[in-house]
Amino acid sequence: MCQKCAYFQNDPGLIEEVYPGLTTMSSGFASVRDRDGLCNYNQIYLSARDSCPHFTPYAPELNQEAAG
Amino acid sequence: MTTNNTETTDIKPSIWQEFWSKEDWWAVWLGLGIVALAYIFYLSGSSISWIAVAPAKWSTLSQLGAQFSKNGIKYLALLGAFLALFTVVVSFIGQKPKAFILSFIFIFVLSTIIYAVGSWDQANRYNLEPPLLALALGLIISNVIGLPRWLDAGFRVEFYIKLGIVLLGATLPFTLIIWAGPVAILQASIVSLVTFLVIFFTARKLGLDHRLAAVLGAGGAVCGVSASIAVAGAVRAKKEHPPIAISLVVFYAIILIFLLPLVSRAIHLPTGVAGAWIGTSEFADAAGLAAAQSYGGLAGAHVGISGTAEQALAAYTLIKVIGRDIWIGIWSFVLALISVTIWERSERSETNSKVQIGQIWWRFPKFVIGFLIASIVTTLLVHGHSLAEYNKLVKPSLILPITALRTWVFTFSFLSIGLTTRFRELAAAGIRPFAAFTFGVVVNVALGYFLSVIVFGHYWSSIVTH
Repeated sequence: MCQKCAYFQNDPGLIEEVYPGLTTMSSGFASVRDRDGLCNYNQIYLSARDSCPHFTPYAPELNQEAAG
Repeated sequence: MTTNNTETTDIKPSIWQEFWSKEDWWAVWLGLGIVALAYIFYLSGSSISWIAVAPAKWSTLSQLGAQFSKNGIKYLALLGAFLALFTVVVSFIGQKPKAFILSFIFIFVLSTIIYAVGSWDQANRYNLEPPLLALALGLIISNVIGLPRWLDAGFRVEFYIKLGIVLLGATLPFTLIIWAGPVAILQASIVSLVTFLVIFFTARKLGLDHRLAAVLGAGGAVCGVSASIAVAGAVRAKKEHPPIAISLVVFYAIILIFLLPLVSRAIHLPTGVAGAWIGTSEFADAAGLAAAQSYGGLAGAHVGISGTAEQALAAYTLIKVIGRDIWIGIWSFVLALISVTIWERSERSETNSKVQIGQIWWRFPKFVIGFLIASIVTTLLVHGHSLAEYNKLVKPSLILPITALRTWVFTFSFLSIGLTTRFRELAAAGIRPFAAFTFGVVVNVALGYFLSVIVFGHYWSSIVTH
């Protein structure tokens, strides 16, 4: 699952930063967003429940690299 | 490897996490908590009216000054109560309480000024409707003066509006929701479907990607930015798709906040009818409530505008929340299904996508549950009272204090819309998405007018809100 992948980021605060204007008429913390987030590998916005062949297990050092 | 597994386990969200990590649920907890407290005070022969303070009508500055010097301690208590409650919320959802506290004090002070200006007995003469004033002031501050970024911590448009809608539920009879709900759903469904199809197929005709077309269509048809971001996740949109929809929705929502009340006023629509039109044609909850509350405020103050302020809000909320918002999970599910079974078959898919029916609930706007519970509880409590008893007892001790608190949180939201709308930061949409969305807006507004005014006008002008 993407939720456990190093390339996946769904922190609501981060999503609000990446998408300026989101907080104007919605919110990163809204239920409609469920656990969706950004995949830094495929460059898509998707559900944490999705998956793909490039799954890389989450680990702090890997996550920092992906974010950087 | 062990470390990896441990980290993986740690980041798995629990089933219960949503209850304290989402603004929707916090709007439910706080809204129902306030309503419960109001009922307890009411049943014990008292009222929360002491803390639910609001400026009364005034005509001279000395009168206003006297009001503030008399009620100063109440305003401080109200600020303290809001601060305490909201700080708990932001702490739980993972924001910085210190930044929020300073930002919220700023919001509260500005809201008090706006509330006071709106209570001036000449305010209507100069078109100083509080929602529009809040919005305009916020837009000027954010786009002309500018504010430090950390102040954004308190500009939680969605949280305030959801809390306000839960409180609104406590002032609406559940019988009205039952009576008008089916018509609201029918009207909203017609407009939503037509608008979505117009935007989607125009976008496709202009050569845009299926997923971008769906994200744009949902934004124009269902519930604005919230629908766009929900559908973006459901159809696995490209990273750059949501900002395009966000820009277009915000741009047109701001225009419609001013335009719909202006046109309604020019043709003297009854407040209930205008509320229904705004509910059908505005995009975001907060934007529509600003327009509906603004127009409702004209009732009784302008010749030719019949109805009450509450009718505008009730008709708006029924169409927008019951008719449109609650269906976002179904829209997401259907579009995810189409995306996986049709679009991704013809395109190279990056993911091993599965369609999960659970998203109908996962994406459901949970604050609606609070809205409905608040309405049911009020209806049960008021049941058995005559109209005279309602007006003498229930209204001043229970309904009006909740209404005052609702007006406060709505004002926080309207002000926050302006303060967070920074036009230069919005992504450039591009001519083709702009054209597709604009066509949808034109159809939406025209069809919304036709259904709200011509087909169901008699219905919306006669809704009973007490």
